[in-house]
Amino acid sequence: MNLFTRPMRLLTAVVLEETSDSVVKALLQLGVMDFVHLNRLDPAQMEKLSSRPSAISRTMLEDLRLRVEALLRQGHLPLPSAENLDVRRLEKPDMESYRTTLDTLTASLLSIKEAQKQNNQILMGIEEIRRYIDEEKGEYLDLRVGTIEGKSQSDLASKIASYGGLLEPLGESGKLISLTLRRDIGQVDPLLEKFGWTESSDPALQQQAVGIIRTRLERERQKALEGRVESERAADAIIAKERDTLFAIWGNLRLNELSDQIKGYFSYTHNTTLFSGWVPADQAEAVRAAIMEASGGQCVIEWTEAGEVNRAEVPVAIASPKALKPFQNMVNNYATPEYGTVNPTIFVMIAYLTMFGLMFGDLGQGLVLVLAGLLFSRSYKKNPLKPDGMITRNVANLLVYLGLSSMVFGVLFGSTFGLELFPALWFPFEAVVAGHAPASSLISDVYGILGLTIKFGIIIIYAGLLINWVNLGRKRDWLTLLLDKNGIVGGVLFAVGLYMGFGFVKSGYHTFPSQSWIAPTVIVCLVGLFLRPFIHAFIEAKESGEKPAIGALLMDGVMEWLVDVLEIFTGYLSNTLSFMRVAGLGIAHASLMESFRQLSGLVDGFGGVVIFILGNLLVIVLEGLSSGIQSLRLNYYEFFSRYFTGKGVAYSPVGLTTSSRTRS
Amino acid sequence: MSSKDPVDVYGFINAKLRARIGKMRQDRLVENLLKAPTLVDAVAQLRDSPYRPVAEVFDHTGDLQQMELVLLHTEIEMHRLVTKYLEGKSVALVNHLLAKIELDNLKNTIRLWYSSIIRRRPIRYRSEYLFKERILNPINWTALINATRWEEVVALLSSTPYGEVAAAVTAQEIESDGLFALESELDRSWYLTLITIIDTLSARDREVARSIFLVEIDLRNLATLVRYGRYYQMEGKAIAALLLPWGKVAASKESAAFLAQEPADRDGPALINHFYRGLESLKVNGQRGSVHSDEPGVLENMKIEEYLGQRRRELYQKILGGDPFTVGLVLAYFFLFKEETATIKATINGKYYGYSEEYIRGVIG
Repeated sequence: MNLFTRPMRLLTAVVLEETSDSVVKALLQLGVMDFVHLNRLDPAQMEKLSSRPSAISRTMLEDLRLRVEALLRQGHLPLPSAENLDVRRLEKPDMESYRTTLDTLTASLLSIKEAQKQNNQILMGIEEIRRYIDEEKGEYLDLRVGTIEGKSQSDLASKIASYGGLLEPLGESGKLISLTLRRDIGQVDPLLEKFGWTESSDPALQQQAVGIIRTRLERERQKALEGRVESERAADAIIAKERDTLFAIWGNLRLNELSDQIKGYFSYTHNTTLFSGWVPADQAEAVRAAIMEASGGQCVIEWTEAGEVNRAEVPVAIASPKALKPFQNMVNNYATPEYGTVNPTIFVMIAYLTMFGLMFGDLGQGLVLVLAGLLFSRSYKKNPLKPDGMITRNVANLLVYLGLSSMVFGVLFGSTFGLELFPALWFPFEAVVAGHAPASSLISDVYGILGLTIKFGIIIIYAGLLINWVNLGRKRDWLTLLLDKNGIVGGVLFAVGLYMGFGFVKSGYHTFPSQSWIAPTVIVCLVGLFLRPFIHAFIEAKESGEKPAIGALLMDGVMEWLVDVLEIFTGYLSNTLSFMRVAGLGIAHASLMESFRQLSGLVDGFGGVVIFILGNLLVIVLEGLSSGIQSLRLNYYEFFSRYFTGKGVAYSPVGLTTSSRTRS
Repeated sequence: MSSKDPVDVYGFINAKLRARIGKMRQDRLVENLLKAPTLVDAVAQLRDSPYRPVAEVFDHTGDLQQMELVLLHTEIEMHRLVTKYLEGKSVALVNHLLAKIELDNLKNTIRLWYSSIIRRRPIRYRSEYLFKERILNPINWTALINATRWEEVVALLSSTPYGEVAAAVTAQEIESDGLFALESELDRSWYLTLITIIDTLSARDREVARSIFLVEIDLRNLATLVRYGRYYQMEGKAIAALLLPWGKVAASKESAAFLAQEPADRDGPALINHFYRGLESLKVNGQRGSVHSDEPGVLENMKIEEYLGQRRRELYQKILGGDPFTVGLVLAYFFLFKEETATIKATINGKYYGYSEEYIRGVIG
């Protein structure tokens, strides 16, 4: 893992047009180049270059690929991924043939679906009658026992079936059972009359008929249900059978999309191809070798170092281990750091987990979070097609970390499901909150906890400032490093403020410290802060040779200074006090656990256990959520605001793993 | 209600619904559905959306009407969810909108009953496509669809708001004239209650609700005038009886003049242009024309319906940009949601029958 963003180099290459396809394949295989358009060349050079329109539009390729995906999803098959892509198989797509394959498969699928629909409708009809029998709603049914004269029984059966009814022989009696819905009596009566139906008036036969017709209904229901399920299976099977073909089509379409994407950055002369793109410095040699090999050595490659280009144009690649992905996502959700600055992921992880642990330290509840995280992750792994639920894949991974943090702090605070089952390694948080901390405890009351979190906040803020100073040093922005509100001046003023604050507390909230160095230090810092825009303007004027408008500069300088001073005095204070929320949440957690513990103690036996379990669950869900959100908030607003400019452009190379559009 | 701060009443629901509207727009589900080349592709679009259960029903049954039933269920649940977050008189308004779903379900049930009992066409499994759970009023849907006489239907509806309208129609009238009069009267009765409920709302809500529903009524009246006056060539008096007596269209001199004309001389677009300018500028889609090119009347009617649909959409867009702490946002959300579900229904059916994207677009307006 790099502590800083990955160093980048800009490649510009010229290859013969006849080798450009091989070069595309090589670059696609490597997948490390973030292409840029060549329009940074001088306009006269650009005039000599031309572009080549795609033979098949990328939208068409994409639309057809989405059709393949739709079919695979209809067949409940996992979608192909980058692992299924083989650059060696990249060939010109036969769109017409692909379309025919997909149309044929879709038509077969829809005809199976039609059969499924018919089975479903039969099932619905049977279910309705069955429900009325089960619910004893005989008034909706028309059950008759009787005989017909001379005419075909099967003929009558098929006619009754057209009304959704059934005709069934009544055992060996020679009689028939007719079951229809009473609402169809207007049609059924004339029909039976036509078949010479003679009604039997034997109530015993009626009773017997109900049992027989139930059996028949169950049989018919089972048949229709099986037919419906069979259709579903057949639909899946027909797609599964064509899986390899669909994967092959998908693969070639996807490769062509990516190839077209790369070619979109290419410019051409009469017989050469030019392209340019950023690659991580550690991949530069691999890229050079691949282009050389693909072009048979007939190429010109030129490298430009990131330092020679405007920093804002250099894409930012961050290398974090896979295990840190949840924290990398937190950083990505916020913004992209500037090129060459500190990769904040590891710091975010430490800060986030410490904050969470302080707010939610409990060995047992932490274990529950770990288990929940592992269960959700396992469920997603077992079912890759499952869409993200309320607990997303990322949150599931994060839960494991949060649980571990909670367990560590649970050991430090000696808390397991709110019970003190073992002595605290640090101090007994819950006992302190409840007001019965042992005399030996390092912290004895809630003020101690508040003080602890404020000190923790100060560490976080200074860590943020330190990272900012490192970033500014790497950017060689010495003026901002020295005289900015987040620079050394800001840090010194914050330190003075802290000295004054702690001194005030130490005096029993009576007097502020009044050492002789305080006022000169503050004045020097404020003057430095005031001078910054003027020094900056002076340096700029010296470099550009243009003199700034003095009036506007003075006005801007004074306004900027006033705002900066206000921000330093209120911003640092509020940022520091903001960390009291860590104590607040921790105290709330401990108080709730104490309450549930006492409540469960009031009820004997099973009831007490239920209260204890429900209380713990409630605390895990509500407090866990609050602590997670507050930790994120503190990272984003209190920590990031000290050093994170978010001005970077994310590195997005084109390769086999490049994410594809799933919906327009 | 009037004493309560509108921010307290609508603050939460406003944030919740705006988030949903934002997601609706971001997902572009309707657009993706329309662009899907086949039914399978359209269903694939539903899999990643809140309508996933609809796609699952397709997997298990292959039956589009079953999918529509799930959509209806979603719509009812959405109304109930919104009601939970509201209080005071606006709850009555939302419940009355839910009553419109109940009314439509009732009309569907009676149509099916009519087909079975009066027309003597076996309905078989079709009754299972009806929503049979309680929506708002205690209606025994199963008994209704199994009634063998009209008097039974009337009795089953007697303890509901629809009882009076149903009782005013006789079995003979149903048999000889069909359901048109009954359905028109049920709709009119729903609008009558709607106006009564709107009048009980707070001043701000009343203003917003009136501005929406009076335009709705105008658009509906215009559609009635053009559809029955021009294409069905009905008598002026009969059409006048169908008009809802609110808004500016029903009471206008222009409408009266339109109805007084001979059916062949009635100029629908001119009448619409009098109230909402710009109808001429609408083009009839060529692709759409290719499907029913032999029916210019149908096309013209579709064009008008499409135009009225656009006016309705503009109205709700305007509401979305207005005061957020009124019932307007709730009504706009219902409109958008209904439009989305209606498009899903129309699209999956259109794709099933192999209609083109352009044609389906034309039909849904």
